[in-house]
This record gives sequence, structure tokens and C-alpha cells, in this order.
Amino acid sequence: MRITNNMLVNNMMYNMANNLERMDRIQQQLATGKKIAAPSDDPIVASRSLKMRTDVAEIHQYKRNVEDAGSWLEITEASLQNLGDLLHRARELAIQGANGSLTTEDASKISIEVEQLKKQAVHLSNTTYAGRYIFSGFKTDQNLIDEATGLYNITVETAGLLREDIKYEIGIGDKININVLGSELFGGAGTAGTPPKLIEDLDNFITALNTGDQAGVRTAIDRIDENIDNLLMVRADVGARTNRLDLTKNRLMADDTNFTKLMSQNEDADIAEVIMKLKNEENVYRASLAGGARIIQPTLVDFLR
Amino acid sequence: MRASFFGLNLAMTGLYASQRALDITNHNLSNVNTPGYSRQVVNQRADTPLAMSDGTGMIGNGAQVFGAQRIRDEYLDFKYWSENVSYGEWDIKKTLLSDIEAVFNEPSDSGFNTVLNEFFSAVHELSKNPSSLATRALVKEKGITLANYFNSTAAHLEKIQSDTNYAVRSKVEEVNSLSEQIRSLNEQIYKFEIQGDVANDLRDQRAVLVDKLSRLIKVDAQEVVVGKLSNGRDDKRFQIVADGKFLVDNFRSYKITYQQSDTKNNPEDIPGIFNLYWEDGTPFNPGGGELKGYIDVRDGAGDSNNEFKGVPHYIRKLNEFVRVFAKAFNEGFIDYDGDGLIGAGEDKIGHADGYGLNSVTGDPLPGIRFFTMNSVSSATFVGAAVLPDDINALYDDITARNLSLSQDIQDSVDNIFTSTTAGEKGNGQILLNIIDFRHDSKVFNEGTPEDFMRSLISNLGIDSQQAGRISLNQETIVKQIDNRRSSNSGVSIDEEMANMVKFQHAYSASARMVTTLSQIYDTLINRMGRF
Repeated sequence: MRITNNMLVNNMMYNMANNLERMDRIQQQLATGKKIAAPSDDPIVASRSLKMRTDVAEIHQYKRNVEDAGSWLEITEASLQNLGDLLHRARELAIQGANGSLTTEDASKISIEVEQLKKQAVHLSNTTYAGRYIFSGFKTDQNLIDEATGLYNITVETAGLLREDIKYEIGIGDKININVLGSELFGGAGTAGTPPKLIEDLDNFITALNTGDQAGVRTAIDRIDENIDNLLMVRADVGARTNRLDLTKNRLMADDTNFTKLMSQNEDADIAEVIMKLKNEENVYRASLAGGARIIQPTLVDFLR
Repeated sequence: MRASFFGLNLAMTGLYASQRALDITNHNLSNVNTPGYSRQVVNQRADTPLAMSDGTGMIGNGAQVFGAQRIRDEYLDFKYWSENVSYGEWDIKKTLLSDIEAVFNEPSDSGFNTVLNEFFSAVHELSKNPSSLATRALVKEKGITLANYFNSTAAHLEKIQSDTNYAVRSKVEEVNSLSEQIRSLNEQIYKFEIQGDVANDLRDQRAVLVDKLSRLIKVDAQEVVVGKLSNGRDDKRFQIVADGKFLVDNFRSYKITYQQSDTKNNPEDIPGIFNLYWEDGTPFNPGGGELKGYIDVRDGAGDSNNEFKGVPHYIRKLNEFVRVFAKAFNEGFIDYDGDGLIGAGEDKIGHADGYGLNSVTGDPLPGIRFFTMNSVSSATFVGAAVLPDDINALYDDITARNLSLSQDIQDSVDNIFTSTTAGEKGNGQILLNIIDFRHDSKVFNEGTPEDFMRSLISNLGIDSQQAGRISLNQETIVKQIDNRRSSNSGVSIDEEMANMVKFQHAYSASARMVTTLSQIYDTLINRMGRF
């Protein structure tokens, strides 16, 4: 083949431009730490990268949801524990009150304490978390039991579609309800203006004490036991939910680590490998420069005198 | 008996031949870097010999130069022109598809994925704490960011379409200018050659122009013999055919015109698209080249009109996305069977089915939409539509360009509907229901909303990669042909230097001949007969 000077120059420039382009791509990988800069560099990596970013973002959101649900359940659990202590104290007092040898004075002292317990119970029913009433179902802006009357302030629906379970999503399609419905905890009809069973029972207990109604005080023990049983059931339920949250949290933590690792494997450049490639390309580029300098310089002109 | 001074004449022909040869060498060396230049070689032969009548045979009459020949393989020109078309087309497509990729800006921390993730994240937070005004404001802001993402992506795509539209116009002007230049060269070449010469350099110039033209549109260029001239030579005409018609027919060139049409080729198009016509009004189809590259990117919607996936395709896809997304978010409509109607099981719970922060028990359902277009209020957007199918049809007016939050939401974040029942500030059930569609793999043919966008972006990546590969292949082919052309027609400095020395020696030798003859004549004239 006949080789002309322009062919040499053109070929050298073309090859050099290709070398430079490859070097530029590798340098870009080094500078960004990513394998690809645009989807066309590798559509499969790009698509997978998009999916994984979404997955990781979702896992982070679910982790936040689990943490928030945990805080809510913690507050609930603390209130339930207080309520439990309160009921046990009330039961002790009822057993004391059922003792026939009690004087009227003693009975009225007990009655005063039970009165305080009742107020405390009403207070607990209106526990708030971040300004929201935790036992009020969806009506988190309204208190459950009226402090003055001791009657339900609002109706908390427990039936069917209207049931006021606050739900947090802690996984795809996985929702957990985080609240305890006040009407289920305190008993009674649960509609606004009706008395909660727990408060009503304490009221009856106080009345029995004040009127010296021994039979009434003995009934109060049974009633308080009923409330304690109910409370235990609710606490067991809350405990089970906390348990589920913990499990979910562990799984999300593991997912987070795994997916972040996968994401990195998918889209991050292997720096050691990239530097090796860069060195290699650098050598090729230098060689092509050196070769080019030799091949395009001399012509016959240099040797004719 | 030979003439006395015959030897000097003979030496003169040698001097002339060497001089002509040196001139051509000089011309070649001067044009070593001229684009499209073909080297020329001197055509030289021994002059017609004289027959001697005395039986001593023929006597040589010296050298004769009968022209400079242009070294050119026309087959390589045809090859170059036919391959250059694809190179022009795919090089433009590669560049423009990379531009579209840059518009989508994925994978990155500021692209669609991030925007959508953050929006859903805000919705999640609000579902947990629906009474918080701060969280409501967050949902509003992230909603605005989402709408803005689509607005600006669509605006950038429209900008690319408008830029390619003007590129189409300027490329057409380039085609017209080239065909006019070729026409004028045809005239000059014809005039020169009718006298029997070969217009070497003008032919080179014409080939360069056809090289340029072949990159812009698909052309079929050839010289045809139409008859004989009065001097007995072939009557050759140079013709360029594009799209089945003459673009240049020897002394006549035909213009391509452009007109802004009133009707849009695609519903997504910007106004003022240039359509191309021949002078006689029939539509012009470039058939390849840069012009086709620009037109395909500008008009390609990936449908039966133009199968290439260009700007309209991506705008159409974005429009489809925002419509389905807004429908599912606002109304809970998901058209599973794709019949365009909202049948049984396709009307789920959406934003409009809920209640805002301050609605009280007994309020009628006010039906505020979260997303509308051009920031209009829900009432304006919905108008008199009541039936699901009628409301569904309203969403056809929403585009990626005009998607916005409704005026109601922009006015007050209280209007973000979270509750299934009026008067329940802690009720976030609506949002929880809406979030479900994010994982509904039947929302789009491609799957979930994120699957849809992911498949859009990875298809774009594949198309762009493919355009890059074809362009690179064509570049290699074109380069290869050009190399062969260079090999055949290019000037080699070494060769010219060798020729120079060769011709210089020949000249010196002829000159030496003159000196020798001069000495002979000196002897003959001055010394002979003197005593």
C-alpha cells in the first residue's frame, strides 16, 4: 500500500484522540468514584443503580417510621405501666376497705386516696406524645376523658372501617397500628358523654367507701380485677407490637447494610483497578506520542543536500 | 541527411519535458495539505519519430508532454459518499441523545429518583403526623419540587427540539449552498473540458463539495454520458439525485425549501416546526445524513410516523407519567385494563376522597386535588365533571410542562387531605392508601411508577449507546475509505522529492546536451575551414 504523509498524520491524530478519550473516561471514573457518568455508559448498571437508590431511600424511610412507632409505643407502655400500678394500689385499698373493722375515718382516708387515683387515671388517659393525645384515636387534638366530669370527651370508634387505628408503614404493604384506643383501655360504651368503665368503677368504689357499703367495696375488688385483666391484655398486645417493631428494625438494619453494599458494588468504581487502567492508558498514550513524533518528522527532504 | 541543428531541438524537448514535470511536482508539493487534492503525474511520451528515407530507420524526435493526469479512483468516491451518509446521521443522533441523557441527569443525587423518593418520604412523615403544619409544609414543598422537576425536564426537552428545528433549517441552507456551488463548478468544468483539457483541480473541488453534501443528505452522484460532442468526445453531465429527484442536473440546481407548518406532526411538538419541500411543493425526505439525524431527533415519537425515539417520544412518556401519577394520587384512579375508562376496582382512594385539617364533622366532600395544571384551583380544574370517566378525561390536559400543585394546596397546607373522616386531625389513612400505589406493579405497563421511569431512562441509555456504536463503526469505515483514497490520491513528499531529483537530473542532462552540442557547433562553425 502506498503511504502518504497525510495518511500518517491523520492516522496518528485519530489514534491519539482515541487514546485521550479512553484516558478521559478513566479519569472521570477516578474523579467521581462512579463506574458510569451517563446511562449510555452502561444501561444495565444505570437501571440497577436507580432501583437500588429507591430501595435504600425506602429502607431509610421505613427505619424512621419504625423509630417513630417505637417512641409512640414507649410512651404508651409507660402510661400503661403507671395505670397498672395505679390499679394495683386501688385493689390494695379495696381489700383494706373490705376489712369490716375499718372506722369511718379510715374509710374516708382511703376514699380520699382513691379519689386521687381516679384523678391520676383521668390524667393518664390524656397522656400526650409530641402534643398529640395518644389514647384519642384519630382525634389526637382532643383529650379522651373530661377532667371535670370524668366522662368520655370524644367518641373513639372501635368497630369496622371507622376503627381509629393509627397505622405506620414499616415495610412495603406492611402496616402496624401504634396506638391503643382509649375506649378499649378504659372500657364502657366508648361514646362521648358516657362514663368510662374504669373511672365509673373507681367512682362506685368511692361511693361505697363513703356510704360504708361493705358489699359495694367487695364488688369493687372484682371490678378492679376486671380492669387489671383488661389492662394486662392491652399491655400484652403493646408488648407484642414492640417486639414486632424490634424484629422489623433488625431486618431493616441488615437490609440497609446489604443494599448499600450492593449499591456500592454496582456503581462505585474499583479505585485500585481504575488507577491501574489509568497507568496503562498513560503508557499507551506516551508510546503513541513518541511513535508519532518519530514517524511524522523525517522525509526525504531531511536527507537531500 | 539530418538537419544541422536538429540536436538542439531534441535537447529542447528534454528541457521542456523536465520543466513541465518539475512544475507538476511543484504543484503537488504546494497542495500536499489541500483537502481533497489528488496528486497529478506528468503524461510524457517519446515524440513521433522521423522516418529516414535513406534506409537508416526511424530517428527519435525527443520527448513530448501531453498533459497532467489526476490520480483518482472514482469507486472510492462512491463508497465514501454512500458510507458518509450513515456517519452523518448517527453522529448527530449520538450527540443529541447524550444531550437528552444530560437532561434526565440520572443516575445522580438530583435526578427524578431523588425527587420522587423525597416526595414519598414527606408523604410518609405526614401520614404519621397529619396534624403537624411543618410536615404539611414539607409535603407541599416536595410536591412543588416534583412538579418543577417535570416542568423543567419538559422545558429542556422542548429546548432541544427547538434547537434541532433551527439546525434543520441551517442544514437545509447548507445543502442549497453546496448544490449551488456544485452547479457552478459543473459549468466551469464543462467549459474547460469541451476544449479537450481535463479540469483536474476543479474536479477535486467538486468531489470535496459532494463529500460535504453526502454527510448532510443521502445523495447519488455520478457523471453520465449523454452523447457525443461535435469534437468526438463524450458529452458528460454531472448529476446528483436525492430523494428520487435531481438535486443538481449539470447546469441546474434545485432548491429545498422549508416552511413552518400550522399543524403539528406530533401533539407534543413545539409550534413552528420546519417541514421540508422541493421547489415544486412535494415533501423532501433527506433519506440519511445529518439532516435526517436532526429530523429524527426532532420528530421521532417512536410510533408509526417516525420509529426513532427522539424528543417527542420522551415528552410523550413524561406526559403519560404525570397523567397517571396525578390521577392515582388525586383520585385513586388506576386504569388496570388500559381501556381509558374507570371500571370496577379501578377507583381507589385518592387525595380528593379525604378531608383536610380543618374540615369539621358534617362537611360535604370538597374534593380538593393535590396536583392540577398551571396552578389552577381544583374547582376550576374539575369544572362540572362528576362521573369518574369524565374526571378521568380531564387528566388528558395535564402535561409534564404544566403540572403543578393546585391553587388550594398552594394557598393553605390545611387543604392537604389526610383524613378519611371529617374532624379527625390525627387521621392519616388517606395518605397511607395513596402510598400503596407506589408499589402497585400494574399502574403502568412497565410496572410501578419508578419502574416506568427506570425503563425510560435505561431505554434512553441503550438507544444512546447504540447510536454511539453505529457512529463509531461508520466513522471507522469512512476513515478507512478516506485512507484508501489518501493512499491512492494523496501527495507523498518522499515520492515528490525523488521525482524532483529525477527531473532535475533529466533537466541537467538535457542542458549538458545543449552544452555538448554548442561545443560541436563551435568546432563546426568557428574552427573548421580555418587554416
